[in-house]
Amino acid sequence: MSLKKSTKNAEVQEISSKSTTLKALLLVTIAALLRYAIMTSKYQSIIANHVEVSTPLSSWKRVSEGSFLFSKNINPYDGDLLHETPLAIKFYKVMLHYVFRNVHLMFIVFDLGTGMLLYLAVKKYAFEFQQHHKDRKKFPEDVQKYLPSQDFAQKVSIYVLMGFLFNPYSLLGCIGHSTMGIHNFFLSLFIFGMIYGSVVVSSFALAVCATVSFYPVILILPLSIYFVKEYKSNTKAVLAIVNFVTFLVLITIYNSNFGKDFSFVKNVYGCILSVPDLQPNIGLFWYFFTEMFDHFRELFIYSFQINTTILYLVPLSIRFRNTPFVLTVALLFLISIFKSYPCLSDLGFVLSLLPNFVHLFPDCQQGFVVGVILVISSSLAPVLWHLWIYSASANANFYFGVTLAYAIAQIFLVTDILFAQTKWEYSLKHGKDTKIDGEDGVLSLE
Amino acid sequence: MRLIFVLYCFLHVKSSTFAIQEDTFTEELLIKPLFSEQVYAHFQFATTWNIDPKNENYHHSHLFPRPIGETIERLNIQELHISLTGGLWRYETWGYPVVDAAPGAEIWAWFKHNTDNVDTNWKLLSNSLSGLLCASFNFVDGSNTVSPQFSFRPRGIVESSNNTFLRYASLPREIVCTENLTPFKKLLPCESKSGLASLLNSGYIHNTKYHSVSLHLRQICATEACDKLAQELQLSVSLVYDYAIMGTKNWSFKKLFGHGLNGNCPLASRSNIFVDLSSKTSHDFELTPEPDDVIYSIRGGQEQMFAKYDIPPYFLSVGAKYQNNLDFNVNIPPPLHACQYLTGYGQERGGIVTEIYNNHWKSLDIVLLQNIAWFVPVYLHTLKIVSNNNQVIEPSVLKYGPGKQREKPYYLEVVLKLPPRSLTKISIDFDYVFLKWQEYPPDANHGFYIGSAIISSYLPLAKNYTGLPQDASTITGSFNASRVGYLVQIRTENMVITLPTPDFSMPYNVICLACTVVALAFGPLHNITTKRLILKKKNRKKLLERLKNKFVEKFFKKKEEKSENDKNE
Repeated sequence: MSLKKSTKNAEVQEISSKSTTLKALLLVTIAALLRYAIMTSKYQSIIANHVEVSTPLSSWKRVSEGSFLFSKNINPYDGDLLHETPLAIKFYKVMLHYVFRNVHLMFIVFDLGTGMLLYLAVKKYAFEFQQHHKDRKKFPEDVQKYLPSQDFAQKVSIYVLMGFLFNPYSLLGCIGHSTMGIHNFFLSLFIFGMIYGSVVVSSFALAVCATVSFYPVILILPLSIYFVKEYKSNTKAVLAIVNFVTFLVLITIYNSNFGKDFSFVKNVYGCILSVPDLQPNIGLFWYFFTEMFDHFRELFIYSFQINTTILYLVPLSIRFRNTPFVLTVALLFLISIFKSYPCLSDLGFVLSLLPNFVHLFPDCQQGFVVGVILVISSSLAPVLWHLWIYSASANANFYFGVTLAYAIAQIFLVTDILFAQTKWEYSLKHGKDTKIDGEDGVLSLE
Repeated sequence: MRLIFVLYCFLHVKSSTFAIQEDTFTEELLIKPLFSEQVYAHFQFATTWNIDPKNENYHHSHLFPRPIGETIERLNIQELHISLTGGLWRYETWGYPVVDAAPGAEIWAWFKHNTDNVDTNWKLLSNSLSGLLCASFNFVDGSNTVSPQFSFRPRGIVESSNNTFLRYASLPREIVCTENLTPFKKLLPCESKSGLASLLNSGYIHNTKYHSVSLHLRQICATEACDKLAQELQLSVSLVYDYAIMGTKNWSFKKLFGHGLNGNCPLASRSNIFVDLSSKTSHDFELTPEPDDVIYSIRGGQEQMFAKYDIPPYFLSVGAKYQNNLDFNVNIPPPLHACQYLTGYGQERGGIVTEIYNNHWKSLDIVLLQNIAWFVPVYLHTLKIVSNNNQVIEPSVLKYGPGKQREKPYYLEVVLKLPPRSLTKISIDFDYVFLKWQEYPPDANHGFYIGSAIISSYLPLAKNYTGLPQDASTITGSFNASRVGYLVQIRTENMVITLPTPDFSMPYNVICLACTVVALAFGPLHNITTKRLILKKKNRKKLLERLKNKFVEKFFKKKEEKSENDKNE
């Protein structure tokens, strides 16, 4: 009887998995058409010109300038328009000339690739998560209804795919030819490699991300924790670190033209770390360092960069060592909030990972506030930008206010998720009931 | 003993007479009524110093200004060209000036090819010139200096012309005023005591539509055979008076300079005044007093007539009285002229467009030099050169140096062949940058200046051309001086862009707000990572009650404890 049931279950699962794959393909096709339609419309250049989409680090115009200068035998790193590595420029050039022959196509394919990789990765992760909570008897009675259901993996993976493909932030980034979209492809490849336990893929993808935008370098810690905790393999963790360092060195050797020319270092990492270009973006750095007193500049640059990179790395890694995926997402969130030149693609990417935490949503308290702030600030940003830059009837403070709201919304979101995670861990042990001696109690951090 | 003294005196006198013979100084004034409602007055002071630049030191000069001699020796300078200009020369209606100059301050120098550190010397040079001429040359540094490859070739005799020894900078915002003219006059042998320089009355000069002071130093051949070198210094003042400001078309020294000329400079070997009579055919005028001589000059296909005055050692005032019957004349613009403007709206993206007109019937080769300040980052891939609105022109040579924020300007040099009778537009796009709040000038919304573009060409004919040939240093030398080509270096307009500004009153607020947001993340994350989640009884008591309890706890408990302790004791 039970055997029959289980085979039936498996069959149902197979059918549903097939239907999810079909659904995923359908979503991808629609997303591709949508992207192509907007890209070929007149809105493409308008979107690409927005500072929220094209930061100095992610602007396609600068990449075009860089490869044009390379083609004229002028070293673009003599100037400071280009902040991409030589490898990245070469990569775009090869992709454009030999593979795609069309900029639109290149960005669409990479964006869809990101979506698919995330979909596959999350499918596996969610399935394992569900398997982990399969033995329902282990958990208290009142938590049962919150535990992941049979079709958890199917549902979550589709949500993540939808969340990435139809998320206005990543959509705008892709349409605006933000090179962060291609960077995100490698970031998703990293997540994919991490979840599938591939040391080479994950460490390679991470090394690429780290050489391009520096900040992902901290993700090596969650990667090795993931291998230790989920794959119970210390060798994998060590190998991942060794591989990562090797790839970093190899890529740097290529970038420096085999040790001959290190001029890119100042333009790429110097720009990311010391923030010389104060063009507004959705981050916290630009106005802060525009208005900074010169003799305090270095102090605050150090403190802001430490805040972005290592300040939260160790405590979070210790606290969430048993859930390395949560740790990874939390760090990705913090990077996208506090990096020096964030753009909408960063936000879109991390937001699309949220459906992984559907089970935490009941414990989240600030979903509404965050949603409202994000909607309002996203719609106000271009309006206030126009008022400041084009009609000169507003000033920089207005736009600064919007970017503050952006950061606050994301901070509320990430702290809320992490707090919900601690509550979840608690409730798995002690149940949802918060009564002490028949009186209502509260959960608090002390 | 006495004999030795006499001999010494004799030798000394002899050597000083040599020195007098070695230096020559000429002063000239050219007055030319321009096509439109202006009159152009150009003062040309040329000093030649027959010194061997290699072997002699520059400490003993006679007519040559010693501060300049010392500077060029100390800083190893081959050639030096400076101009300080207010107003814009209108090439289209005024033709070509004797000396081209960009609005604001402009400086370019060639260093000798054995100079070790050109950049240090350049910085020293600009600093000493800022003291010498009371101009803001001290703002010349790496962030506005370029070394153009084609535009500024040496004007004199040089051993090598490798552009690593050339530096060029312009300060378009520089305002030229009396304080620059006074030190300039002190460089002349007679200063402003007598001779033509006494006409340089700052009260009148700065009322003109265009005024330019320039200094050109170079090495020339001392003899025909060119076996000896000499230093040559050309100091010039160009003025364009507007009839509308003067109130009448009749001009005289009194009207132009405030007073007449009180004799020549006794140290000058030649003092002349020339009046261009070519415009007499369109509107006749009569000169008083009668000129000493009339010179006919045929140069590069252009016939000209000049009235010549030799300045006597006593008072002279030249004036012109126009006849009443006014003939109208059609302006024939010169073969090559140009203008420059900004495109785009808002403060995000813009473009620089340079329009070059070729009115000549044949194609012209030109070199366009753009020295674009670092706060105007241009994108080379957006460079478009279109002639007559449809014909795309490929530059023969393109030199580009990308700029760097706060360090290096964008340098663009394009060699082009302009099609005959054409209008060529050269456009390039740029982004507006956002500066640190302390980098904005006090009047931040006044805008930032972008220097003029320089278009150099060798014209095949000397139409509307008054420039001096390369082998001459005086206006006299330009008469009947037909050459293969006539060098023009057209300067376009300066441009002003207003960069987007931050709110200057906000630094504390911004620092507080941004740090608050960072703290918003730090607080909860600190709590989550360092604290344990525990279940606690809900505190149902009201806030006031809680505060009261705390208060009671703090103060009364202590008392109780104390009294208990006392009891125990």
